Amino acid sequence: MIEQGKWFSPPGSSLYSLFLLTVLMALSSCGVKSGGDSKARTAMDSTLVIAMLGDADYLNPVLGSTVTSSNIIGLVYPSLLQSEFDTETGLMNYIALEKKLRKTTSGQAQKTPKGAIARSWSFSADHKTLTYTLRNDAFWNDGKPVVSGDFKFTYRLYGNPVVASARQQYLAELVGADKGQVDFDKAIETPNPATLVFRFYKPVPEHLALFHTSLTPLPAHRWKNVKPEEFRNAPLNITPLGAGPYLLKSWKQQQELVLASSPKSTLPKPGNIPLITFRVVPDYTVRLTQLQTGAVDVVENIKPEDFTALLKENSGIDVKTVGLRVYDYVGWSNIDQKEYHKSGKVIPHPLFGSARVRLALTSAIDRESIIDGYLKEYGVICNTDISPSLKWAYNERLTPHGFDAARATALLKAEGWLPGSDGILQKQGRRFSFVLYTNSGNARRNYASVIIQQNLRSIGIECKLDVQESNVFFENLHQRKLDAWMAGWAIGLEIDPLDVWGSDLNKSRFNFTGYQNPRLDQLCELAKQKMDPTGAKPYWLEYQEILHRDQPVTFLYWMKETQGFSKRIEGEELNIAGSFYNIDDWRLRPSANIAQ
Amino acid sequence: MLRYIFKRLLIAIPLIFGVLTLTFFIIRLAPGDPAAFFIQPGISPNVAEQIRAQYGLNDPLPVQYVKWLGNVLQGDFGRSFSRAQQPVVEVIASALPITITIALLTLVANFTFGILIGIISAVRQNSLIDRLLTVTALFFYSMPEFWFALMMIILFALKFPLFPTSGLNEIGAEGFGPLGFVLDRIWHLILPVTVLSINGAAGIARYVRGSMLEVIRQDYIRTARAKGLPENLVIFRHALRNALLPVITIMGSSLPFIFSGALFIEVIFAFPGMGRVTVEAIFSRDYPLIIANTFISGSLIVLGNLFADVLYAVADPRIKL
Repeated sequence: MIEQGKWFSPPGSSLYSLFLLTVLMALSSCGVKSGGDSKARTAMDSTLVIAMLGDADYLNPVLGSTVTSSNIIGLVYPSLLQSEFDTETGLMNYIALEKKLRKTTSGQAQKTPKGAIARSWSFSADHKTLTYTLRNDAFWNDGKPVVSGDFKFTYRLYGNPVVASARQQYLAELVGADKGQVDFDKAIETPNPATLVFRFYKPVPEHLALFHTSLTPLPAHRWKNVKPEEFRNAPLNITPLGAGPYLLKSWKQQQELVLASSPKSTLPKPGNIPLITFRVVPDYTVRLTQLQTGAVDVVENIKPEDFTALLKENSGIDVKTVGLRVYDYVGWSNIDQKEYHKSGKVIPHPLFGSARVRLALTSAIDRESIIDGYLKEYGVICNTDISPSLKWAYNERLTPHGFDAARATALLKAEGWLPGSDGILQKQGRRFSFVLYTNSGNARRNYASVIIQQNLRSIGIECKLDVQESNVFFENLHQRKLDAWMAGWAIGLEIDPLDVWGSDLNKSRFNFTGYQNPRLDQLCELAKQKMDPTGAKPYWLEYQEILHRDQPVTFLYWMKETQGFSKRIEGEELNIAGSFYNIDDWRLRPSANIAQ
Repeated sequence: MLRYIFKRLLIAIPLIFGVLTLTFFIIRLAPGDPAAFFIQPGISPNVAEQIRAQYGLNDPLPVQYVKWLGNVLQGDFGRSFSRAQQPVVEVIASALPITITIALLTLVANFTFGILIGIISAVRQNSLIDRLLTVTALFFYSMPEFWFALMMIILFALKFPLFPTSGLNEIGAEGFGPLGFVLDRIWHLILPVTVLSINGAAGIARYVRGSMLEVIRQDYIRTARAKGLPENLVIFRHALRNALLPVITIMGSSLPFIFSGALFIEVIFAFPGMGRVTVEAIFSRDYPLIIANTFISGSLIVLGNLFADVLYAVADPRIKL
């Protein structure tokens, strides 16, 4: 064999690598320079950067449905009222320039009401007519005044089936809605540019009336020539004309969207920070790294396991929490879904049909150890779907069902479930074995499901785990095809649980378990009829007792939502109603003064 | 040869339509609903139905197919469901340049480094440098790209902040001037292109090494050396040209990759390219976008194969088309 290699060298290989190295070094140094020179620093000093998981869709309040869209719409468009969540009571408050629904509790952050278009409102004694008086010094960015006609025009769009707005539910109490079609001529009147009247077909509690009538308006003069069938495709959707503290400066789709402080805004004033950039960063680890390197200032939903490293790595970061609005649960099909699909008959599920069995399952699951192992101080045991944050309605007398394997075994024994030869419980020849489904891509639920599997195995229940692609999982859930699953809910700030627990399984689309209890339906109806929400407290207390007793699902834990902020942001206040709730009041400290 | 190319292109048309038709039906058979997002508490049950009506999903499947076929034949791929009704063509037009930039840079780096390393390994077979290169190449080749990318970010953006973590440009890059803007863009592309090309070059190096080793042992190489030709000439003119034939096949099959994008890299580095468009379309059951993407990648696979065959004939006069 010929030894060819010894004297071979590719032409100019050392020269080539030297060249490459030089280019690389030149580039990297230029990059560092461009990131660090005064121009870039000035840009950073005047720009707040928020990392977002996904891009905005429509910059139009009638259509916008992504989180990014609603954040941006909130800054660009005017709003009739300001709202805030009172952490002392757990009630929502609605604020006009000269009127508040409730007095703000002391110690509560006070949202400046200056952004509201409504000067005041009056509500008729029969709870059917709501009259707003509007201010006359609010202007769209093109100089035209914001008038009552804008609201009426936009409400017609919200209610138009061709437009298919996701917010049409807000119009459900307006005159005509009971007959299937809102009669806009009667339901919304605009006697003059500063007066806006809403009429309801039935008495509505004042807070709900305010909530449902404060949908964001569009400028009628700009949109009036757009046909409803063209509405979704209109170019105006991506070039919004607003009136809020910010206006759209540029939008590179799927990359970044830049808002600039609107110099003439009177709602309430031009934003303090000159530029706000929303950057789309789909990968979680990269969002986290960017927060650490200072490339972005705000990252939402940081996982608890990353806090320690994050704070150790960079002292210029603050992690803030808000909650509790989100919970995870294990759903048990209360009814035999197969039989229900086949004949429409409701019979108890062979495994989970009995409340005693479900209570046994809850007692067998060590929820504390899931919280200790994963969520730590950011998780709280969940008893029912009424959050501890809704203090006015929360039932504090309920004691959580603690982890007690012996109690679980005894309860199951009383129900006739006895260990078989393979160690798995059996009843009339049926083994206690099932598949627990969950959706893919959720590390927390994966962690919890493994603990649940072990817990159940130790009392003789075989629980197999199956992870499904999210679309498939939720479709199966909606079609009530799963016997047992793990999922979560984010609750609304107004309690309205009939969709999830209502006995009419055709109407209650989200009653995946098939749980039926006429008393629960009654309690929800009674609570709705109360014109003052706090008057419904006794009903909600009983509601929680029933859920706690019947365990239609095993409620696992409430989670605090955790947001990472750069310390160069000043004046931010977190509110359960949203992370960017007072963003127009935020300020940026110049980079030279940031504590490292 | 022109006749051959023309014939192949003619066959490709029914093939691609077949693929599109299959995709059309398969994606509708898959579980999941484009309007699923609108099925949640607080949203009227009518909304999902209205949305489906807007998307034309309430028609019977054959009617949907005929309508779709009519539109596609006129070059209209429809509007995206998930991206605010943007025309599908526009979505792709904005994603393609980004993907092409990354892919072309990557391909050049891939083949340059891959071929170079392959030659060195082959010429110095079994030497220390060959072993070192082989082990290193296998090490990188077997490493998952997304993990490697994250490690590079942690190392070169966090621990040693030399490069940016993601994005195509710095905040306020528009103010750097045209040269500054381009340099800033290149600075942002170094990490992703490095990740992609290290991984790809390692694979190509293995191919080149194998094929080079075979060629080097041929009689005509011995003849060339016996003639007293300088070694560089022997390797580069006589051996390499022949050794590169199998690599041409890889080059042809890399064409779809250029346009379909490097998914993980695009997600991790937050580049709005074709890979991300495709995957997001699949997850949100955005039928028009999925079909348009299939059209592009399907056509490119066909073209890529044709391209490779033609290149073969160009590189090797023995092959007649």
